[in-house]
Amino acid sequence: MASRAGPAAGRGMNTRFAQFKLVLLGESAVGKSSIVLRFVKDQFDSYRESTIGAAFLTQTISLDENTTVKFEIWDTAGQERYKSLAPMYYRNANCAVVVYDITQSSSLDKAKAWVKELQRQANENIIIALAGNKLDLVSEQPDKRAVPTAEAEAYANEAGLLFFETSAKTAENVQELFTAIAKKLPLDQVGPRHTRPGQRPGGVNLGPAEGRDTQAGGPCSC
Amino acid sequence: METLSAETWDTVICGTGLSQSLLALALSRSKKRILHLDANDFYGEHEAALSLQEADAWAHAHAGGDVTHQLDNKPASTNNGNEDIASDGDKFLTAPVLSGKESTLFRNAHVRKHHNAEAQGLSFPRAYSLALAPQIIYTQSKLLSQLVSSKAYRQVEFLAVGSFFVYGTTDAASGTILARIPSSREDVFSAQSIPARSKRALMKFLKFVIDYDSDEHKLVWQARADEPLSEFLIEHFKLDERLQNSTLALTLTLDGKVTVKDGLVTIHRHLTSIGLFGSGFCAVYPKWGGTSEIAQVGCRAGAVGGSTYMLDTPVSMGEADHGGNISLKLSNEVSIRTTTLISSQQTCSTTSPSISRVVAVINSPLQSLFEILAEGAPTPAVAVVAFPSGSLPNNSQSGSDVPVYAFVHSSETGECPSGQSVVYLTMQAAPQSPHVLDMALTALLQAATTTADILYKLYYEQATSSRQPLVTSQGSATVFELPSPSLGLAFDDENLVAVKEAWKIVMKDEALDDAFMKFEDREGMGDDDDDVYD
Repeated sequence: MASRAGPAAGRGMNTRFAQFKLVLLGESAVGKSSIVLRFVKDQFDSYRESTIGAAFLTQTISLDENTTVKFEIWDTAGQERYKSLAPMYYRNANCAVVVYDITQSSSLDKAKAWVKELQRQANENIIIALAGNKLDLVSEQPDKRAVPTAEAEAYANEAGLLFFETSAKTAENVQELFTAIAKKLPLDQVGPRHTRPGQRPGGVNLGPAEGRDTQAGGPCSC
Repeated sequence: METLSAETWDTVICGTGLSQSLLALALSRSKKRILHLDANDFYGEHEAALSLQEADAWAHAHAGGDVTHQLDNKPASTNNGNEDIASDGDKFLTAPVLSGKESTLFRNAHVRKHHNAEAQGLSFPRAYSLALAPQIIYTQSKLLSQLVSSKAYRQVEFLAVGSFFVYGTTDAASGTILARIPSSREDVFSAQSIPARSKRALMKFLKFVIDYDSDEHKLVWQARADEPLSEFLIEHFKLDERLQNSTLALTLTLDGKVTVKDGLVTIHRHLTSIGLFGSGFCAVYPKWGGTSEIAQVGCRAGAVGGSTYMLDTPVSMGEADHGGNISLKLSNEVSIRTTTLISSQQTCSTTSPSISRVVAVINSPLQSLFEILAEGAPTPAVAVVAFPSGSLPNNSQSGSDVPVYAFVHSSETGECPSGQSVVYLTMQAAPQSPHVLDMALTALLQAATTTADILYKLYYEQATSSRQPLVTSQGSATVFELPSPSLGLAFDDENLVAVKEAWKIVMKDEALDDAFMKFEDREGMGDDDDDVYD
């Protein structure tokens, strides 16, 4: 906990720290969790089990010397049958990654349905990225490709989405995907959920370490 | 859908209100098989935060004035906790709905939109998030310590509740004002508007409250514990009318008749909450709709723990099961079995009064109400304004001699776009309360700003169930009905007692008192430096 305030403070007054909520959506087995695993931990596991319910994790990236972006990532289960979880993840989300599998054309249809739902239900200014995953499979065997790059890209342009073809296995374009999202986020806006709680005016930190400093120090903590 | 009926659930939780969602959080590491349902297509039940579109639909569904017609086939004495639901169940002609889309606790809802709302600044419907239960949370509340110990607080952004104001008339010349209530000794010292003699009286009272529980002070008030606080303030502390009003306002009581005992307890809570998590505030409010946001965090924790979530799924009691389990019927005709059923009470208590609320979107930030109260204090996002009994014109004449409270939320709460604010007004329900609330809102806007329009206004009345949980058994299975949300303006820790009881029922002999709501961070959620994948 002590490290929380550390790095930002060390970089002087001009540092910007912004925190954003990101949600991953897409059909089962397209590789949502694998993309997150690559991004957060730089690992890959071919035999990953399906996500149950959802998983939450965080990753911080530095855009430049002075700008740090922290993603709160909500990875949802593609298998979720009752369509009841996604609304609580995309509520107040700043950005979304909608994933499909470039070797399964039906998964792009599902991705399009998610994009539609996001555009209908989520924040009006949500930033959506479309990620065609499993690029490694078609690099090895080009005939496995079921969704031509141009087709997905045309759709992404038309719908106003960021677009990348990724491989969680080889790491191709994974970092690029998240960096592109970070760059598109409204970093200069002092607004909802953008800055770290406890460091901006208005936020109250309940955390054990910093939040109770005034307590531990007694009535006069000077 | 097949798998839903294939297994016997350890528990089925009906409704995603705050209490049920806190239970979901409490059970999120238990490995129990949990099915969590809500009849609505949004989270939060009675404590939801709604977009304007959702608010319109919600108001339409709760426009009815007669709350009892939906309860016709309920047994009359549902307050009796010993009744066996199974035997009553046989008498039902139609299956009782455990969790339906239209709550029986809300009524007379209607929406009024400014005739030129969009031109005056009303944004798109999802830019708003109007809280049905905008309770503030005192920093002393066990809710906060449980959110910290369960690590759920990491997903909530807490904002400071700042000034408490009292609306009143100064004199004929200067008209009406909003006077900030001094709530600490430093505050009293620096308040220039209070005459020296009154200051001494107020100081004496504040000192008394801080230590109200001491043997010495108990001697003073215990004999008068059930008398009205206002009389005690006059007789014992010689507080003038203005200071009385300020003091009573801090109790946040809606009937204007707080007793000495309850008053001292709540003012003590107020004073001792100041500074607990930082200077200048005594309470917090979760961003994005208050307790609604905490409910969602609880449900997310449940989902991460493997619980199954289904929205838009009303539930009713099914045929009795021979294996001693509870059988439930979902709206999609699927039958499910469980050993425990947790729901929230839908029957209005006939003894407790209901409240009237107005939620209004204002096209002004009402900046003057969100002053920073101490050096280094966070900018408050919520201000409280009390209209004491009789302070509004016509109020006393119309026979409604009760106070009105307003919570003013800045756009920092995420409930409206910047440049606007949301005002939540509450008073005890009476036939004239729509009119009184309108008057209070107008008075507030006139006192706080020069120009402001009401862009959108939602009125409704809210009742409450019995304050005790109802526990009934059906064979070897248990039905536990949590009390509905309290109508208080601040979160009531009593709710947590019922949540813990429900938790014990689900956990059975695995329930260890000390383990309740105490979790380690899940991997990947803790420090920035060791983010690892779960």
